[in-house]
Amino acid sequence: MSTTARLRDRKAGAERRVSATRTVRTSLVSLAGLVGGPVGNQAGQEVGRVVDVVARLYGPDHYPPVTGLIIRIGRRRAFLPADHIESLHAGRVRLRTARLDLRDFTRRPGEVLLARDVMDHQLVDVDGIQVTRAADLYLAPLADRTVLVGVDVSLPTLLRRLGPRRWQVRPTPERVLDWQAVAPFGEQATHGPAEVRLRASRSALHRLRPADLADILEDLGRTERQQLLGWLEPEHAADALEEMEPGELENLLREAPPEHAARLVDEMEPDEAAEALRDLTAGERERLLQGMPSAEAAELRSLLAHREGTAGGAMTTLPLTARPEQTVAQVRAELAAQAEHRGDIPAVAVLDGEGRLLGDIALFDLAVAEDTALVADLSEWLAQFGPPVTVHPEIRLAEAADHLVAARATSLLVVDDTGRPLGRILADDILDALLPERGRLHFRRLLK
Amino acid sequence: MTRDLDTTRAASPGATAATIGATNTGSGAATEPTAATPAAGPALARRRGLRRLSAVAMVAGPGLVAANAGNDAAGIATYAGAGSQFTYGTLFFMVLVTIALVMVQEMAVRLGAHTGKGLGALIREQFSLRLTALAVFCLLLANTGLVVSEFAGIGAAFELLGVPKWAVIPPAAILLWSLVLFGSYRWAERIFLVMSLAFFAYPLAMILGHPHWGQVGRHLVVPHFEPSKDFVLLAVALIGTTVSPYMQFYAAAGVVDRGAKPEDYKLIRADAVLGAVFACVISLTIIIATAAAIGGSGPLQSAAQAAEALKPVAGQGAELLFAFGLIGASALAGAVVPLSASYAVGEAAGVERSVSRSFRDAPLFLGLFTAQIALGALVALTPVDVIQLLIGTQVLQGLISPIVLVYLLVLTNRRSVLGAAANGPRYRIAVTTVVVGVAAMSTILLVQTILGWIGLG
Repeated sequence: MSTTARLRDRKAGAERRVSATRTVRTSLVSLAGLVGGPVGNQAGQEVGRVVDVVARLYGPDHYPPVTGLIIRIGRRRAFLPADHIESLHAGRVRLRTARLDLRDFTRRPGEVLLARDVMDHQLVDVDGIQVTRAADLYLAPLADRTVLVGVDVSLPTLLRRLGPRRWQVRPTPERVLDWQAVAPFGEQATHGPAEVRLRASRSALHRLRPADLADILEDLGRTERQQLLGWLEPEHAADALEEMEPGELENLLREAPPEHAARLVDEMEPDEAAEALRDLTAGERERLLQGMPSAEAAELRSLLAHREGTAGGAMTTLPLTARPEQTVAQVRAELAAQAEHRGDIPAVAVLDGEGRLLGDIALFDLAVAEDTALVADLSEWLAQFGPPVTVHPEIRLAEAADHLVAARATSLLVVDDTGRPLGRILADDILDALLPERGRLHFRRLLK
Repeated sequence: MTRDLDTTRAASPGATAATIGATNTGSGAATEPTAATPAAGPALARRRGLRRLSAVAMVAGPGLVAANAGNDAAGIATYAGAGSQFTYGTLFFMVLVTIALVMVQEMAVRLGAHTGKGLGALIREQFSLRLTALAVFCLLLANTGLVVSEFAGIGAAFELLGVPKWAVIPPAAILLWSLVLFGSYRWAERIFLVMSLAFFAYPLAMILGHPHWGQVGRHLVVPHFEPSKDFVLLAVALIGTTVSPYMQFYAAAGVVDRGAKPEDYKLIRADAVLGAVFACVISLTIIIATAAAIGGSGPLQSAAQAAEALKPVAGQGAELLFAFGLIGASALAGAVVPLSASYAVGEAAGVERSVSRSFRDAPLFLGLFTAQIALGALVALTPVDVIQLLIGTQVLQGLISPIVLVYLLVLTNRRSVLGAAANGPRYRIAVTTVVVGVAAMSTILLVQTILGWIGLG
């Protein structure tokens, strides 16, 4: 391929891009440019100015439809339903009728004022996994209605909005997020009917990894944060909370409605939950514990009795134990019923009738054992490889880590003086204790 | 790799204890059931390091932090200038400034506690984009001025020790920048903090310097105002160094950060008020001590002259002590001031703001931080008289302060923001008076300056 041909190709490509951009630009209407723009009647006379655009944010539609405009006529503000609009263009609105049927605006369920509640406010960019602010919103006029299609989050757009009016009306779609990929917060909006609450972006929220979600929660303001938590399934939210910075988590639990906070703590792994509760004041802790089912609360109370930094303070409860007379199949069936504890059962402890520890059967051994084998035989056979690794609850966590490393095991059992197991320390908690802080550093930390 | 840094809140003029109370282990906060503080003791020792118990509170109590507040380079220069030029003449004005500071800081922490948002975010959400840009611009301008003064302070301190400033300021800037970005600032901060304790010699120096207590008392309660340009200039500088724009952003951010809820507001308010009063008391002792030592000798000439006020305490070592304190206090503020401005701007723009991100992920935040330090160090290197430069930066703060105060006032008046906690009618009048007063001083100065330019001054 000769140089000239390549140059020609490149030029053609550039032209294509420019024309594509132009097409997109002409088909989008910038909300920032629309606000303050003239509203004209059929004859083209100006009857008022646009104050805000009303859209149904929480509804069944994929893209929120514009349901009307708030316009200023003289000194009065009035609501203009969307079916009166003939066309929406960059910075101009034309009406269908000469007669205006004006009402005062009242919010209907799921509606928000785009300029006041969404533009310049925080939203979650689900694809880019970050919290950002909407610099501009883009509307697309379709045949029968106008819908909100995207959010602009680029800095140049902010500069455009600072400029003269001529710039403001021109869309600059450099970094536009598809409306499907953001989770907006309409602070003032009432939610639509319950069955349509789960918009695409919210289900997208559930695809985020807990650690990413934790970052997002840390970045959001107080009300937004609580709103987001309300959208998430409690188990999913709890996973994210486990990943949060202790300080941020403490703030979050403190500002959440107590019953919701109790629900979230209940869903967390017991060891993480205990740690979160330790950071709260006694009164706050009690309030949350009382909001929980009594069995879980009792479990957490027993964990809270141990000091932080000790083996007891880092352990999680044993959701499942086995008895020697059970068969392997029975234990496996019980395991199957404990799906929500997937993350914290690396092995099953075997207890005698007195509750004393006989052995610890790793999941691998359970998986490969015969269905009909007895737990007693299995743990006896395993005993030849050495006794289960156990520590006392009072020893320091660093020391427990040494035991774990020496034993090359994946978890440790914490036992009291009589040999009864109290809980288990998982490898991830040991890692947390061993590794230096590696979170994202927010400037917020600087204020502490 | 960065770890969390807990930076002192002492690093700025007029820093308040509002951002401090929670670190306090003995203020009674720990015993309040609704306090935003965990009970002191083992609960504080966290798996991921001491989060609450900042370096500062470990060294001493929150009072100390607040006291450190007025001790950055520009603050010392301004207070010492006031003492040397007008003896006790500015004391009553300082009392007024104290009242203003208390009110302003109270408003800032109220916004933080009730909305859970920083001032940057609130301004973006409540004002038009152009007004937001104005606020951001003002804050950046004021803060860059502050950063200039911090580096100038470091330069002045080393000159006292016989090292030329051009040899010190660039390495100091690079060192601070990398400490913050690469995360060993936490340890450096403790060293700086201990160094800045040198300024605690001022209250002692005041007593040992035998000021005319009668005159001091009279000047504290009898209004005194000179219509001269010098007096107005210094008055604006006093406002600027005490009620500096960045303090309001800082105080609000600290409260938000602690996750304080409206229920904790009483405690937070007490913290803010006490901190502000304490900081101003320290400022007063600096003025009085300097006035007793070199009062009436005309404008402050040099850092060496300012150090003379410490002679009653340290004798021959006064300059050394002064330099020591100046380095510590300036280095403390030199990191926090640009960071907090970048944070507020990042918050308003809605971009990533975290020190542990790469430049690609957080270009605006890290770029602003870097730019402020670079610009600050550059301006500080210009061969201008250091004292003039220091006081000049505070005059700039004083001129910008009323603009930021108007934002604060409008926000706290809005029921849509604060609900029932918005300013009541009486409070509104009081605060408006404060803002108008501050703005009036700035306007007088501007008018005088312009008249001076066209030869009418």
